[in-house]
Amino acid sequence: MTSIETPTENPTRPAIARVQGLKVHFASKKGPVHAVDGVDFDIADGEMLGLVGETGCGKSVTGRAFLGLIPQPPARIAGGRILFRPRRREDTSEDTPEFRPCPTCKGADIVCATCNGSGYDTLDLLAVKPRTMRAIRGRRIAMIFQDPGKALNPILTIGDQLAEVFLQHASADLLADIGGTGDMGGLAAGAVGRAARQESGRLDGILSRVPPVRGHLRRLRAALEDRIAAALAETQISNPRRVIRSYPHELSGGMRQRVMIAQALACDPDLIIADEPTTALDVTIQAKIMELIKMLQEKRKTSVLYISHDLSLVRRTCDRVVVMYAGRVAEVGGVREVFAAPRHPYTRGLLDAIPRSGETRGVLASIPGTVPELVSPPPGCRFADRCVHVMPECTRVNPTLQPLTPDQSVSCFLAHPPAPGAAHKEPELQET
Amino acid sequence: MSVTDPNAAPMRETAFSVRTRRWRELSATILSNPTTVIGLVIIVALLAMAVFAPWLASPNTPDPYQMPRDWGAVRMPPGTPGHVLGTTNQGGDVFYGVVWGSRTSLQLSIVVVSVTVCIGIAIGSIAGLVGGWVDEALMRIVDVFLSIPELIFALAVAAILGPSFSNIILSLCIVFWVKYARIMRAQIILVRQADYVKAATVIGDSKFNIFRRDILPNAVTPIAVQATLDMGNIVLVGATLSFIGLSESGIAEWGVLVSEGQAGIASGRWWASTFPGLMIFLWALAFNLVGDGLRDALDPRTEGR
Amino acid sequence: MNVKVDTDGTVAHQDDAGDVLLSVRNLRKYFPIKDGVLQNVVGHVKAVDGVSFDIRRGETVGLVGESGCGKSTLSGCVSGLTDPTGGSVHFNTRGRGSAHGPLDEGDRIDRMDRATFAKYRRNVQMVFQDNFASLNPRQLVVDIVGRPLRVHGIASGTALQEKVVELLEQVGLGRQHLYRYPHQFSGGQRQRISIARALALDPELIVLDEPTSALDVSVQAQILNLLNDLQAERHLAYLFITHDLSVVRHMADRTITMYLGKVVEEGPTQDLFETPEHPYTKVLLAAKPDLDDDPDVPIQTLAGSIPDPARPPSGCRFHTRCPVATSTCGWEIDDIVRELETREDLFDKLVGVDRKSDLEATLTFSDSAAAHAVWEAIRSDSVPETMRDAIETLDVRDGALMVRFAKPSAIELREVGTGHRAACILAGE
Repeated sequence: MTSIETPTENPTRPAIARVQGLKVHFASKKGPVHAVDGVDFDIADGEMLGLVGETGCGKSVTGRAFLGLIPQPPARIAGGRILFRPRRREDTSEDTPEFRPCPTCKGADIVCATCNGSGYDTLDLLAVKPRTMRAIRGRRIAMIFQDPGKALNPILTIGDQLAEVFLQHASADLLADIGGTGDMGGLAAGAVGRAARQESGRLDGILSRVPPVRGHLRRLRAALEDRIAAALAETQISNPRRVIRSYPHELSGGMRQRVMIAQALACDPDLIIADEPTTALDVTIQAKIMELIKMLQEKRKTSVLYISHDLSLVRRTCDRVVVMYAGRVAEVGGVREVFAAPRHPYTRGLLDAIPRSGETRGVLASIPGTVPELVSPPPGCRFADRCVHVMPECTRVNPTLQPLTPDQSVSCFLAHPPAPGAAHKEPELQET
Repeated sequence: MSVTDPNAAPMRETAFSVRTRRWRELSATILSNPTTVIGLVIIVALLAMAVFAPWLASPNTPDPYQMPRDWGAVRMPPGTPGHVLGTTNQGGDVFYGVVWGSRTSLQLSIVVVSVTVCIGIAIGSIAGLVGGWVDEALMRIVDVFLSIPELIFALAVAAILGPSFSNIILSLCIVFWVKYARIMRAQIILVRQADYVKAATVIGDSKFNIFRRDILPNAVTPIAVQATLDMGNIVLVGATLSFIGLSESGIAEWGVLVSEGQAGIASGRWWASTFPGLMIFLWALAFNLVGDGLRDALDPRTEGR
Repeated sequence: MNVKVDTDGTVAHQDDAGDVLLSVRNLRKYFPIKDGVLQNVVGHVKAVDGVSFDIRRGETVGLVGESGCGKSTLSGCVSGLTDPTGGSVHFNTRGRGSAHGPLDEGDRIDRMDRATFAKYRRNVQMVFQDNFASLNPRQLVVDIVGRPLRVHGIASGTALQEKVVELLEQVGLGRQHLYRYPHQFSGGQRQRISIARALALDPELIVLDEPTSALDVSVQAQILNLLNDLQAERHLAYLFITHDLSVVRHMADRTITMYLGKVVEEGPTQDLFETPEHPYTKVLLAAKPDLDDDPDVPIQTLAGSIPDPARPPSGCRFHTRCPVATSTCGWEIDDIVRELETREDLFDKLVGVDRKSDLEATLTFSDSAAAHAVWEAIRSDSVPETMRDAIETLDVRDGALMVRFAKPSAIELREVGTGHRAACILAGE
């Protein structure tokens, strides 16, 4: 069993998550659509990884698979794993039994080589129980969506929506904020604790009117509001107290996206999946939001999977980039390497298609043809029928992702010619 | 959409073949839903019954829509030779009523639905296209109509007009158009903002053509679904009105038969009410099943995928 | 500049006024804001507010700006979909190779007679952003593309079908696509169908409203190449509306930048991109880095959000967010109100604003402490220094705060280079 502790691509940085052979098929009238068909990549701890590709290449589906947000049916996870290793943190109250300690150091060693000191074993996000997934969502892995207008609940104020996240995942921190429940009486401590965990029962309604309990609850609410305001302020919202009381429709698109980011960062997640977070925004706002995400990511050393079709923003903000085409990874590598010297013909075509200064009108290099149909795709490279360098073996064997340099891997026979007789083997079996 | 090979033999496509293929695809979608198929089977059976009524139960009165009266065979139970489903208090053959009642019901639903759909589309379109105070005025009228429950409103109108079957049809026409006008107006307002309407304006097409080619075809889908559902519901409401005596007595109509037979239920003569009642149930059920299927098939989110 | 080589090899200067195909003069479009039961008009959103520009035969004019700047409303006015509130749109309907002469009152599209207006309609076509919504889902390609021909009685029957095939072939589609529905195509192919429909009447001007914004880059490249080829073949003029500056740079001969309903800068694309004069254009350029730019140069961003277009800032509309605003850029009472809005504690105590003009007003607060706090705030570093410089008098008496701003400079588009104009008092310095 390949495990996350042997990073293949980047030996200097351990991976926080690894996608292995991910396959997602969607049912359609014509048959299963192979939307994601064997995707492999790592997200190193603390890096910003760009995931780029055109409409329908499977990048969004891949991102959603991390949080179990793929509707099944019509989709079906046809194979693969998404390994994830949570980071070490003080508050383990949200952990579920599936958060197992590291098999080597049993969670004790902070310099353990196997688990990078996190103390946890890896989890397969595709196989965890719903309860575990709920504990992971928001707390460990958060998501920022493309359209903040749709991702926020229109009938709740911004404060209510953010409070939800804190009460769900950070109730212990909140109780700590008000000095703990230790000095309260048994009943009062119970009531306040339940309020902080959103578990208040009928009795608590009566208890909350008893003066000492009422005081504690008021302090709890104040602590909650402080935390929300701080979270909003961190995303450079100038007047957080006012935004707390606003409804989503009262805010501009850029402002809503900031709220989404505040919500995603609220519990200091280990990994953020940002699915086209700036596509719906104007250019000047886009730049600002990306700068904000980048700044917060660097400050907190959070890992970010940034899904986008905007190559110039990815080049600006990411450390490494994964280029997907028709459900497969075409190329992976450091942003500088991939953008300066793309090795896959698709990456090259994509970069050449962007209009640049000093280019003559009317001669943009476009990739001929269209994206292949993903219902029962033919064997071989998905890009073969549009590729100018197509070779006979391209249509027979699927080129696997092979490292070219420590910083760049590519799945193309131009970069690493196929071994003789490879055509007779099942491509998947070549992987280790 | 796959890449089309330019060297491939030209496809033998014509506008006609493509349009019929669209219908074939649509019907395939509809037929892939088992409950819709059940509904369709019931409807076909009921229609066949209506069409072949003179052969299934030959009339012996000058007006075949009047129940025959055989005073020599009153209150016969089902299974009696010559009276498969028994007879009523007046000696009317229940089977005859069931068969000829399908014609009355069909007449009722077709007349009411087609009249109300036409009125609804016309008024809804005027409100949606003209806008301004015309729209306001029409919609306030619609609001007044909608504030009264359909059944009670129809009942009141029918009562004012006097008891007769044609007055039931008339009262249902007066009541049922509002819904369509509402749906149509909302659809028109939605569709007229579409870019293809703007594109047609830029081309220079006339307003009437834009309405006919772009707005109307894209706005009527929900009307078709609602009309199918109402084919069943109207028979139900019509039967209710007949049941409480707003129709002429003695005609072969399911609601009237249920009404006239109910007195006998207490004395064990269940058949005179039950069989016509069952028919009403089947009719309403069948059109509701088909209407639901149609709604799913025409759903823009699934259509053409 | 703006030199074009004609087919016979002679060089013609496009500055010639006779070549003007479309003129927009002081165009305004206000949308009423209605409120209350009686739907009273309580104000207007000034979507387009006094815009003038020309489009010459065969040239591409790029129109850029962020959402809400009025570029789509403007495209509606140019293509005759929207009636302007004021100003005029003139179109040369005399056809290609017509006698030269400036456009006059007779060319106003709202005053044209029926026959002339029909000519205008034929000559101005449009391609929309949403490639799915711009095609009637219930019509076949042959009906969609053939419709303009049928409407104008140009062709029917087999001739029409052949003409449609010809048009489809020009946009890279073919006979095999005649009898298909729009949903059977990819986004790029649908956009090709839209272009074929726009070409059907052999127009002189096509308004392209974000034609590639919904497409992937590789498909966008195909469509842009197609548009360029068609322009070269047919001597078409394009009004190319987009928010993507790299696309405008690639496509347009001249570029117009809009902000909040006004043109802030216009000029030959190359000049505008190399030496942008208006700070807003500069910010736009810096916000969308080119792939060749140095990735370590930080992206320049813009403070604040777009002000409410129902109450646009006076003077230069950009002064509220401008990084280089001066004290005479149009600071006004509304700027103080906007400033107060960010300070909830003080804004809540604001009872009334008694305006003598946009520049002079008395603000009343519920207590004198609040008035003093505002007075302090306005004199502190928390408001832009240039705004403080623009304040002539600032008095606080009890709960009332009297403010008067100095008269701002007149800010109009002015020449900063050949054909290059900018609406900024710093431009050209």
